[in-house]
Amino acid sequence: MQTKQVMEIASLSAEILLSSGAEIYRVEYTAKSICKSYGIECECFVMPTGFTISCTGDKNETLTYVKRVENRTMDLHKIDSINAFSRRLENEKIGYEDAVKILKDIEKMPYFKLPTRCIAAGFIAFSFTMLFRGTLKDSIAAFFISMLIFKVKNDIESIGFFQFFEYFISGMIAGGVSLIAHKISPALNIDKIIIGSIMILVPGVSITNGIKDALYGDLISSFTRLGEALFIAIAVGVGVGIMLTFSVYWM
Amino acid sequence: MKEFLLAFLGSFCGGIIFNIQRKNLIWAGICGGLSWTAYALTYEYTGGIVFSTFIGAVVVGLYSETMARILKTPAFVFSIPGIFPLVPGAGAYFTVLYIVNSSYSDAVNKGVETAAVAGAIAFGILFTTTLFQFGVRIKERIGRND
Repeated sequence: MQTKQVMEIASLSAEILLSSGAEIYRVEYTAKSICKSYGIECECFVMPTGFTISCTGDKNETLTYVKRVENRTMDLHKIDSINAFSRRLENEKIGYEDAVKILKDIEKMPYFKLPTRCIAAGFIAFSFTMLFRGTLKDSIAAFFISMLIFKVKNDIESIGFFQFFEYFISGMIAGGVSLIAHKISPALNIDKIIIGSIMILVPGVSITNGIKDALYGDLISSFTRLGEALFIAIAVGVGVGIMLTFSVYWM
Repeated sequence: MKEFLLAFLGSFCGGIIFNIQRKNLIWAGICGGLSWTAYALTYEYTGGIVFSTFIGAVVVGLYSETMARILKTPAFVFSIPGIFPLVPGAGAYFTVLYIVNSSYSDAVNKGVETAAVAGAIAFGILFTTTLFQFGVRIKERIGRND
C-alpha cells in the first residue's frame, strides 16, 4: 500500500476521534499505531482544534496532512469503534478501500434519535435537581425546562451560529423560564431549578478532561480545553445572570 | 438508596447524550450511582468536598477499569458518564453568576473550589488507571520470569 493511502486512513481516523471529543493522547496514539501497523513511522501533533500528521513518503519526500476540526461533540461510541478498528489493524492487514469504507461507516454511525436525547436531557435535569435537594415540583419544572433548552440548542446548532451563542441563549432560556415558573407558582426554588436544568450545558466534563490532558503532559490542549470550558461557563452564567437581573428590576 | 437511583438515572441519561452503546448504558448508570453513593457517604463522615470527590472518582476508576476488562470495552465508556454526577458544573456556573452579580470574593471562593474538585476527579481516575497498568506490568514480568 502507498504511504499516502496509509496517511489518509490515519488522518481520517484521527479526525473522527478528535471531533468525537477523544483525549489528545488517544488521538496521537491511534494515528501512530495505525501507521505502525502498515510499517510506517510517523510523527503527529494534535490540538483540540486540529492536527498535523507527517512522515517520509515512498520517494523520500515528506508527506504532511493538516486538518482543522471545527465541531466537537461528545460521542463515546465512535471513539470506541475507532479504538476497536485500530486494534484490528494490528493483527490483520486491511486494504485501503475496505479501511476507508469502515471509517466512513463509523463516521455515519447513528446517534440516538432527537426525541430520545431530549427526554434523556430532561431526566438528567430531573435527577440532578433531586440530588441537589430540590423538591419534586422543582424537579418536574427542571425536566421540562431542560427538554426545551436541549431542543432549542439543537436547532441553533443546525442553523450554525458560533458555539458560545448557543450556550448564551440556552442560559437565557433557563433563567427566563424558571422565573416564569416561579411567578406562576411561588413555592418553586429558582436556584435548584436553574442548576438542574443547566446541568446538560455546564462544562464539567471538559474541565475534568482538561486537567486530565495536563496530567498526561499535553499542556497546550489542556489550556485550550480549560479555556473553552471557561467561556462556556461564562456564556451560560451571563445568560442566566441577565435574566435574573431583569427580574430584579422589572418584576 | 433513593440517591443511588437518582444518580443512576442521571448517568444513564448522560450515557444517552454521550451516545454510548445500548448494552453498556446500564453499566454506565450503575457506575454513576456507585460514585455518587461513595461521594455522599464520605461527605457525610468527613465533610470535605474535595476529599469526598476524590473518593468518588477512585470508585469510578476502579469500577470502570474492572468492567472494561470484563466487558472488553474501553474504560472511558463507563468513566465519563460515571463522573457525570461528580463534575463541578454547578460550581462553574455559580462562579460566573457571582461575577455577574459583582460579589467577587464569593466568586473566587467558588472558582478555587471548582478547580480543586475537577483536579480531584482527574487525579482519582488517573490514580486507579495507573494502579491497574502497574498491576498488568507486574503480571507480565512475573509471567516472563516463569
